[in-house]
Amino acid sequence: MVAAQKIIYYLYMLITALCAFFLVKHLFKRKEHKGIINDIVYALCIIPFILRILHIK
Amino acid sequence: MSEKLNNNITVKLICFIIAAILAIVAGIQFYDHRTYKETVVVSDSFTEKKMLSDYVPSLKNTMADTPVFFFDSGVEGGTVLYLGGTHPYEPAASLSAFVMMENINVEKGRVIIIPQANRSATTLGMLGNAYPQYYHVDTEWGSVKYKIGDRWAHPLDSWPDPFTYRHYPSGLQLTYQDLRNVNRCYPGREDGAPIERVCYAIMEIIRNEKVDLAIDSHEAAVMYPVVETYVAHERALDIAMMAAMNLSATKFYMKCEASPTNLRGLSHREWGDFSDTLAILMETPQPFTDWIVGPMTEELQTIGADEFLGTAMEHGLTYVEYDKNVGCPMKLRVGRHLSGAAEAIDWTNASFPEKEVVVNWPSYEELMEHDCGYFLHDPAKADTDKIFEI
Repeated sequence: MVAAQKIIYYLYMLITALCAFFLVKHLFKRKEHKGIINDIVYALCIIPFILRILHIK
Repeated sequence: MSEKLNNNITVKLICFIIAAILAIVAGIQFYDHRTYKETVVVSDSFTEKKMLSDYVPSLKNTMADTPVFFFDSGVEGGTVLYLGGTHPYEPAASLSAFVMMENINVEKGRVIIIPQANRSATTLGMLGNAYPQYYHVDTEWGSVKYKIGDRWAHPLDSWPDPFTYRHYPSGLQLTYQDLRNVNRCYPGREDGAPIERVCYAIMEIIRNEKVDLAIDSHEAAVMYPVVETYVAHERALDIAMMAAMNLSATKFYMKCEASPTNLRGLSHREWGDFSDTLAILMETPQPFTDWIVGPMTEELQTIGADEFLGTAMEHGLTYVEYDKNVGCPMKLRVGRHLSGAAEAIDWTNASFPEKEVVVNWPSYEELMEHDCGYFLHDPAKADTDKIFEI
């Protein structure tokens, strides 16, 4: 059960990394909602994902 | 112009860089809190340090693993376990354990102290509450910094949470984050989630070390009914009741409540049900965790004077006497825990002479006279084998 927990944990970390990747990608390249406000929202939303991947928060 | 701005790669880069700067500024603080270690200089009665992972090996090299300090007189007698830091956002519990460890003198029996029961929860602050990360205790040799942690273990150490936490073995359904709450996971599971394993390890200490009296120290909001209280398992109820009556007559007001039989996962219930120990939990008044207080400052944590709580007191909304000009200073809360534990030991000695533990540490009166810093020792002048960073 401890091993299963570890696998699930690392899967969630992988999902977090994917979310961070797509947020960065869509910050710089997207087809809709191209306003500057959306840029700011995308940039701010990246922060918790980065901190989680780095094992800081 | 607007169209240009919207598609400008420079604008996007600036947004990204500002976000990165914010992440770095916040990240430095989070990292500092995650890695900061508190220092303790143990007394001459110290005999041995173990880790929880000695009882549950899967905790080794995790942030949930925490030190267990043994103070053994070498004279046959009973064994007492004192737990601080079950909820690290109640810091007088951990500080009382530190003051105890630095000044304890054991003449008969032995005392086991775990100052940071939920060590993982000491590595982050309360999410979203704008808490200060640290508080300071002044001593003659300088200021000592201690952490203010969270109620629950760090999500980095136990993630993801379930939608609903189902307590083992009762099956009782509790709020999801209580899977990271040490005082909701007893008796724990050897192969469970990290905090379930912590709880199982503490149960193993109680069972394997044959702990006769186990005390779990906490703090409670002034507007919470279970404040200035012993909560005792039915086998420890007489002891807690006598201790509460004696303390109320001689030192400070203390009441006593019986551990509810249907509320599972708590120390005062499961320690008693899943071992032979006498289980007691203690609560001191801590305005910092009240819901109506003003700014969440270090002063509110260390002094606890708050005008909103004073107004609540005037309207009869608090469960204990509260003076907004005095508050509930740290020395009062630490002193209450130290004398509260000593009183429980005295009544256990009186009830079970074969389990006698003769021990002393600073009392409530001494704390009120000298404050906490007076009882902390300078690591620079201590023997290196007596210094622990945890």
